[in-house]
Amino acid sequence: MTPPGDRREDGATGLRTPTPGAAPAPRVILDEGAAPAPRLDFGWEKAVAVVAPPGSRGWSSLALLGAGAAVLVLGLSLLEAGNFVAAQFARAAWLGWLTLAVAVGGFGLVFAAIGREARGYLALRTVDRARAAHARGDVAVLQAELEAWQARLPPGLPRTGNLRDMPMDAACALVEAKTLAPIAQDAAALGRAAAMQAFAVTAVSPSPGLDALVFAWRGIRLVRQVAALHGFRPGIAGTVSLLRRVALDAATVAATDVAVDAMVRGVLSSRIAEHVAGEAAAAAVAARRMILLARTADEACRILPRG
Amino acid sequence: MDPLSLLRVVLDTTEDAARALIGRERIRLAVTGLSRAGKTVFLTSLIANLLAAGRGARTLPALSDAAGGRIRRVFVVPADTETVPRFDPDAHLGALAADPPRWPERTEDFSTLSLAIDVERRTSLGGLLPERRVTLDLIDYPGEWLLDLPMLRQGHAAWSAETLARLRRGTRAAAAADFLAFIDSLPPEAPAEDVLAKRGFTLYRDALRACRDTHGLRFLQPGRFLNPGPRGEAPLLWFFPLPDSVRGGLADLCARRYAAYLDDQRANFLDPFFSRFHRQVVLVDVLGALHAGQEAFTDTAEALAAVAAIISGANWLERLLGAAPSRVAFAATKADHVPTRARDSLAALVEHITLGARGRAEASGATVSCHAVAAIRCTEDAVARLEGQAVAAVRGVLLQEGVGATIYPGEVPMKPPEPAFWDAGLFSMPEFRPPRLDRHGASGMPHLGLDALLAWLVADLL
Ligand SMILES: Nc1nc2c(ncn2[C@@H]2O[C@H](COP(=O)(O)OP(=O)(O)OP(=O)(O)O)[C@@H](O)[C@H]2O)c(=O)[nH]1
Ligand SMILES: [Mg+2]
Repeated sequence: MTPPGDRREDGATGLRTPTPGAAPAPRVILDEGAAPAPRLDFGWEKAVAVVAPPGSRGWSSLALLGAGAAVLVLGLSLLEAGNFVAAQFARAAWLGWLTLAVAVGGFGLVFAAIGREARGYLALRTVDRARAAHARGDVAVLQAELEAWQARLPPGLPRTGNLRDMPMDAACALVEAKTLAPIAQDAAALGRAAAMQAFAVTAVSPSPGLDALVFAWRGIRLVRQVAALHGFRPGIAGTVSLLRRVALDAATVAATDVAVDAMVRGVLSSRIAEHVAGEAAAAAVAARRMILLARTADEACRILPRG
Repeated sequence: MDPLSLLRVVLDTTEDAARALIGRERIRLAVTGLSRAGKTVFLTSLIANLLAAGRGARTLPALSDAAGGRIRRVFVVPADTETVPRFDPDAHLGALAADPPRWPERTEDFSTLSLAIDVERRTSLGGLLPERRVTLDLIDYPGEWLLDLPMLRQGHAAWSAETLARLRRGTRAAAAADFLAFIDSLPPEAPAEDVLAKRGFTLYRDALRACRDTHGLRFLQPGRFLNPGPRGEAPLLWFFPLPDSVRGGLADLCARRYAAYLDDQRANFLDPFFSRFHRQVVLVDVLGALHAGQEAFTDTAEALAAVAAIISGANWLERLLGAAPSRVAFAATKADHVPTRARDSLAALVEHITLGARGRAEASGATVSCHAVAAIRCTEDAVARLEGQAVAAVRGVLLQEGVGATIYPGEVPMKPPEPAFWDAGLFSMPEFRPPRLDRHGASGMPHLGLDALLAWLVADLL
């Protein structure tokens, strides 16, 4: 659409005589030489970049205290053991060798345990990295994380081959449908089983204190089971961090979720419920919490955010 | 208001209340604008920037701040079984980011898209409760179709009289000379011949096209004559305005088709999409209207007022039931065509060009405000030397040539200009290349003032 009065002027040629006193008429002045110009760049990506939430970095004093104590215990006992081995060698060679073997074996087991803990803890971090990459739209990192995660999944779970050739949206949708959705179903099944047990125990147990204990133990086990579905084998530190995550995510998993209610009803209509209807109120709450816990744990462990 | 539409309004109001109760509100946002006002680009930028903001990027700082930083997630609501085409922001974004870039084509059909915005609750315990999900319903459509709205309240005779009176004035008369000669030569008892009807339609359509494309006029009806949409030029369209001296079979035929056309537009386009809005933004290419001359400027104003009479106008009952938008923003688009210091004038000028439209919106109880926005910022400020004086200008890269250019857009008056202003003659703003964009839209796209507009328009609902 070019109005007839189109007076696009090249360079400064063809200036019109302006009305005296009036502002100059609008016009286009082409750059000298008129070589193709690159597109403008306002540095927009940098200007709007996601700001990392402040704090949460660095060690808390409690963690420092713990780490210091660990170093002291481990380091001093290593030194102590070294001294002791040297002293034994001074007594007799065979005694020295025997002590050395005992010390290496013992410390080897301790370090293996620490290594496993660290691995379990760090594996959970991949979830954060993958989700952050997803949020940023960083295709390369996300693909790498997804592949590493798939490699770690327990055998028997369906995987998506060749994620690299797909657009990111398609890859995510496939992973969701092929792997994450079945895992969510398995997690829900675990939740139902745990709910059933929690219900039974709470309905027949003699003391509320015992209930709480059983409930906590069963809950932790459930969270670890769900994590295992996602390919994580958290140790103690991993479990603690996992529980923290679950607590955070509990806020986002709707407490009034219809699906949960439907499942609770499903569990309660089972035979056990009919038999012990008297204690049903408290027990129903316990069952409901288990189902919710399974869902939240699944939420916390999934490599891609839901929906 | 007939009982049926009243019932629908009541049902919609009930649904709104129920949704609010469970924290699943729906905001229907009407993006209205005449053809080429910038609707498609506006929607593309709005979606890209909101999605990026949902990932934590500060693409819409004013909106994020107005919402108290509670926006947690934004995503496109997955498609269900809609029969309506889906607005495709990725395709538009891809075309804008491509090398060489392309702006969207003229929109030929309507399309819809919904965005879900998860926000934390406002209460102090908000963090513990599940988030609220606000769905933003958006639609895109050809701007020409908007002018079918005022026709709904007119019969063929009244419409003809008004349209012909307008057509015989100013530049329209020259552009429509052939058509006017044709209807003036029709005998009073013209028979219902399709040859005549089709001839009249063709001449009238060509006249409308000339008015739109060469004279920058906007008050052109009916919309589907200029933009027939996906179904093409069906026989339904073979009618045209007739003077009341012609009363034979042809007049009956035209009146029948006029009514059928309106029924069709109402059923397919206006009722489903233009019956209920919570918020409205009216996009106006003020600068384009200004550069196209006095007639185009007043014509744009009249067209906006006529459309507003239908969309924003509501009787007391509809207002009571919340069927009318409670906030209407008027925005001058393409604000990057003028240097920074002229943008306030642009916002002031939009206040004047939409005088009639604002009156209608205010009369039906809406709060209004005026803005100047650029959905995609394509220029930077520059200084040009003209006739010895330095003037504020903008610099961008021209779309076709790919070369840099400095553009002096002329003086932007704060109010409707004096007659002498128009002596400066006409001007057509060149199209610019969009700045460098990420084709996945990971960080939205550069804009001017879009965040302030959205903050005013919807932040109170988040
Ligand atoms: N510089 C600049 N140009 C813009 C902007 N928005 C729109 N334009 C220009 O205006 C033209 C029309 O924009 P569209 O969004 O396609 O207009 P529309 O209202 O959808 O038009 P129809 O579909 O015909 O009703 C584009 O091709 C661009 O050249 C903007 O923010 N900045
Ligand atoms: Mg469009």
